Amino acid sequence: MKTARVAALATGIVFAALVVVFVVSDGDTDVGARSPLLGQPAPAVATSTIDGARFELTRRKGSWVVLNFFNSTCVPCIAEHPSLVRFVADERSRTDAAEFYTVVNDDVDGAVRDFFAANGGDWPKLRDDDGAIAVGFGVAKVPETWIIDPNGFVRLRIMGAVGDGVLEAQMARLREGTAP
Amino acid sequence: MKTTARRPAWAFLLVVTVALVVFGTVRDTGPRTQQDRIDTITKRVACPTCDGESVYVSRAAAAQAIRAEVARQVSDGLNSDDEIVAYIADRFGGQVLLVPRGSGLDALVWVLPVVVAVALVGALAMSFRRGSTSASNAAVSTANRRKPVAVTLAVVIVVGVGGGVLVARQSGQRLPLQTATGGIEDSTASLLAQARLAGPSDVKSAIDLYARVLETDPDNVEALTYRAWLIMLSARQFDEALRQQAYASTIAALGRAIELEPAYPDAMCFLGIVVYRDGGDAAAAKEFLDRCLERDPPAEVRGMVESLAAEVAAEVGG
Repeated sequence: MKTARVAALATGIVFAALVVVFVVSDGDTDVGARSPLLGQPAPAVATSTIDGARFELTRRKGSWVVLNFFNSTCVPCIAEHPSLVRFVADERSRTDAAEFYTVVNDDVDGAVRDFFAANGGDWPKLRDDDGAIAVGFGVAKVPETWIIDPNGFVRLRIMGAVGDGVLEAQMARLREGTAP
Repeated sequence: MKTTARRPAWAFLLVVTVALVVFGTVRDTGPRTQQDRIDTITKRVACPTCDGESVYVSRAAAAQAIRAEVARQVSDGLNSDDEIVAYIADRFGGQVLLVPRGSGLDALVWVLPVVVAVALVGALAMSFRRGSTSASNAAVSTANRRKPVAVTLAVVIVVGVGGGVLVARQSGQRLPLQTATGGIEDSTASLLAQARLAGPSDVKSAIDLYARVLETDPDNVEALTYRAWLIMLSARQFDEALRQQAYASTIAALGRAIELEPAYPDAMCFLGIVVYRDGGDAAAAKEFLDRCLERDPPAEVRGMVESLAAEVAAEVGG
């Protein structure tokens, strides 16, 4: 009889604790995805664009940098592209404009060129032929978008397609210093 | 009498078992080829886009990229197997580790079996002891019977948890910056990042951090450039002699940075600003500022240069 009471009490406590956890938890509603790299110095990126220009991420300190991991055959990449084009156009009107770069993931230069010729987007496209940049950022699937602050620290990771206005809103939060 | 005679045998068995476990754990398996290392490491990492496959067996694009990164790091020869695995876990998260970590909640995977095993051995030993002594101890009080139970329990907890922690430390996956040989000094990237953060509010600390980078990497262009720039900014509040001294060293350092990496815009931009503001040479400054803008400086530096360029151009034109 005593054992049954103890068991019932223990069950009740566990149940109550679960209810508290469910009530207090705010869920994962933020657009930013988790990464061990958030708040850390960005991984080194030294590569070239598909046009042959040299690129080193550390040399872009002093600017906000947005890296978008992309593949011309990936459907979400195609879906988010118009939003990216609008974001870059908006940014270019600012004095502290974020620099936008596409990181080509498991794709060929010709296909990338054709895609951008057809869909717009005149920003630099970075080669990642051996996947070192993707591994450096822990990118397993494209698209992914990362924002790096002017001090070279990773501030935001967005997994999946970026919706209209999302990057604009996130950049505004980051610039104001309100983003986590 | 019989039990006493068996004790040396049990002790001998225990010593041999412990010795074998220690030998098996720490023995050097001899040199391995690079491919052996790549295979071993990729077997310890899960493919991030597949279910239940290691990077070693997976043919997914993400797994191939990780394999290429492992091969590159093994080929470089700078990092141990643990450090390479930690590098990947640091990027993709702990869920890609097929060998649980030896710390945090993951450590329970290593600790609990040892605790349970030791508890079982303890319980077994106690029941043997009770069986052999029950007759003679029939008259022993309850309090006296509880004493060996408490002692055994304490021994089980200490040995079990201690053994479990040792197993976790030895067998568990190490976290980034947890090496077998101790801590890792701040990397150049980390020092540069700290210096960058300190820069605006704590110039002295930033200069010290850049100096630390230059101690190990005297040709680090970023450290050369920003240390020189911050020294010049600080010197502006001091007397003329100190300013002249700072000016000379700043020009030399920026010149060295440009020599090392002619395409680095920041050094060229700061050179233009310093030559104009502190050297008073508008013509030379204009040339440097023009070159700076050709090199596509980052937004912060571009902002400084563009606000100055018009002033310099007007002075040169006038």
